[in-house]
Amino acid sequence: MPWGDREIVEDRVRVVIAEDSVLLREGLTRLLTDRGHEVVAGVGDADALVKTIAELADQGELPDVVVADVRMPPTHTDEGVRAAVLLRRQHPGLGVLVLSQYVEERYATELLAGSSRGVGYLLKDRVADVREFVDAVVRVAEGGTALDPEVVAQLLGRSRKQDVLTGLTPREREVLGLMAEGRTNSAIARQLVVSDGAVEKHVSNIFLKLGLAPSDGDHRRVLAVLTYLNS
Amino acid sequence: MATEYGQGYAHRSERHHRLPAALRAPVEARSWREFGYVLLGLPIAIVLFTWTVTTVSLGAGLLVTFLGIPVLAAALAGCRGFGVLERARARGLLGVEVADPEPLRVAKPGALAWMGAMLKSGASWRHALYTLVQFPWAVFSFSVAVSFWTCGWALLTYPLWFWVFPAYAGEGGIQLYGDAHHSVYLDNPFEITVTALIGLVFTLATPWLVRALTTVDGLLVRGLLGPSRLSARVVELESDRGAVVDTAAADLRRIERDLHDGAQARLVALAMDLGLAKEKLREDPRAAARMVEEAHGEVKTALQELRDLARGIHPAVLTDRGLDAALSAVASRCTVPVRVEVDLPARPTPAIEGIAYFTVSELLQNVSKHSGARTASVDVWRSEDRLMLQVSDDGVGGADVSRGSGLAGLAARLDAVDGVLVVDSPAGGPTRVIAELPWRG
Repeated sequence: MPWGDREIVEDRVRVVIAEDSVLLREGLTRLLTDRGHEVVAGVGDADALVKTIAELADQGELPDVVVADVRMPPTHTDEGVRAAVLLRRQHPGLGVLVLSQYVEERYATELLAGSSRGVGYLLKDRVADVREFVDAVVRVAEGGTALDPEVVAQLLGRSRKQDVLTGLTPREREVLGLMAEGRTNSAIARQLVVSDGAVEKHVSNIFLKLGLAPSDGDHRRVLAVLTYLNS
Repeated sequence: MATEYGQGYAHRSERHHRLPAALRAPVEARSWREFGYVLLGLPIAIVLFTWTVTTVSLGAGLLVTFLGIPVLAAALAGCRGFGVLERARARGLLGVEVADPEPLRVAKPGALAWMGAMLKSGASWRHALYTLVQFPWAVFSFSVAVSFWTCGWALLTYPLWFWVFPAYAGEGGIQLYGDAHHSVYLDNPFEITVTALIGLVFTLATPWLVRALTTVDGLLVRGLLGPSRLSARVVELESDRGAVVDTAAADLRRIERDLHDGAQARLVALAMDLGLAKEKLREDPRAAARMVEEAHGEVKTALQELRDLARGIHPAVLTDRGLDAALSAVASRCTVPVRVEVDLPARPTPAIEGIAYFTVSELLQNVSKHSGARTASVDVWRSEDRLMLQVSDDGVGGADVSRGSGLAGLAARLDAVDGVLVVDSPAGGPTRVIAELPWRG
């Protein structure tokens, strides 16, 4: 399931990885450096992550993006999410991509509270599709959004706007889902194998039906959709 | 007064009767059974009382020697035996259904252990107490019942036999009062009629009196010969524990099967694909690439299956954020749109939360599989000391706890924690399932 933008894959980003499994941390590091990105640091728990970011920020070397696991020592519950929320508040320019064994609508809502700029929340399995995963890292580093399709499905399913959502055509629902994942129009067009113009038409129909003001910036568009679904 | 114990007979008297109950009572079968119970009560009570007093005092007297213990145990065993007869008598004549008391718990084989268990069992001593308490009561109720019954019928039929007095006794009738100077005989038609009327009152009153007396007997049998409330609860809990152990074992089997059929099989296929690819790498890189591609697909599916399996065992978000958050993912997996409303003032204990989660999860699976619904909704709220769950859908209905093992299994699981499952699903729908769990916060 591709969800990346090929155009920005050449950009080199600086990454900090927080993951308690050494195997996975090494794997992620290899995967990212192999694609030409720089892994500034790798840590094993949330406290170390917050400390490392603070030190890097002091030296004026704030990374572009943090890739963090949700469950880390000491309690193995939601340290990653809490650290991510904290880091986003402390460093608004820092992209945060949270990886998890399971994705939960509730964590997504907590991560997205306030802004969908530079946020990612993906199933760990997605690293198996290397290119798309790296694309997502880059997208988040550049202020975009990368939400897992499963999270989006939960958000759509949980939304209180079911009556409006059932008014959308199946294609429009599909486009809405992809939008919520944080994709650009051209990425949506590629995925659905339709023209950019067709996607634009769907998007404007969706905004019309949901009663939202059309929005240009991709990440603002994601936020509008998510706010709508959550309200 | 006797309605509580007379329920077994209630349906028989539903027939239409021309006579009112008060007039019917003296000749009713039920009254005769109760009267018979009281009549039998006295001789039985004498035997039981004699048995207990004799054997228990003998046993107690012999306690200084070792012989006392077997004698006492035999005394109590006898009381337990009598208890079986007494319960049968109460069941047959009074319609009092009393379950057998808790059986003797003999930890290990051997006469000594048996005697110890007999002497330690509360039920045995309650049986002995019954034989002692029932004796005075049987004497009392026998005297009262027999006196009332004979007086009543004798006076009622007085007009038919008063002639024996002038014919054989040389008197006008029953002598009501008599001293040296004057006597009062019931001999004129008015007095005879009044006597008969008094007899009628007695006759009519006797069945109700007997019923009141046997009600006390019913209470004695129930209270002293039945299972104690504690032991009844123990029996219930034992069956609940059985259900829990069964479901736990079934869950383990299911997990094992899922692992075996799912992830394990996929990993074998993956190893095979990769092994083949390794061999082909040199001579046919294109084929090798295709195999690696397939292996990649296999491993992703395996990951998905493992994730679903782990989540099925316990969803992490339930521990971290509670029911509301955990139900989002459950709702999104349902094939129809689900509205979820969770309105809880606090979080219940993890055990209750877990059962609530799996209940909703299973009910929504049913909605997906069987209901044919277009929408469904889940409501969770607290009502005093209960946690309430409601899952409803607008599907075809016809869900039944007795059919389909899914709902029955769910009901058993809920039962194990003193929960209740109520299914309202008429054919044609809609379906509403309400589950009630004890609130433990």
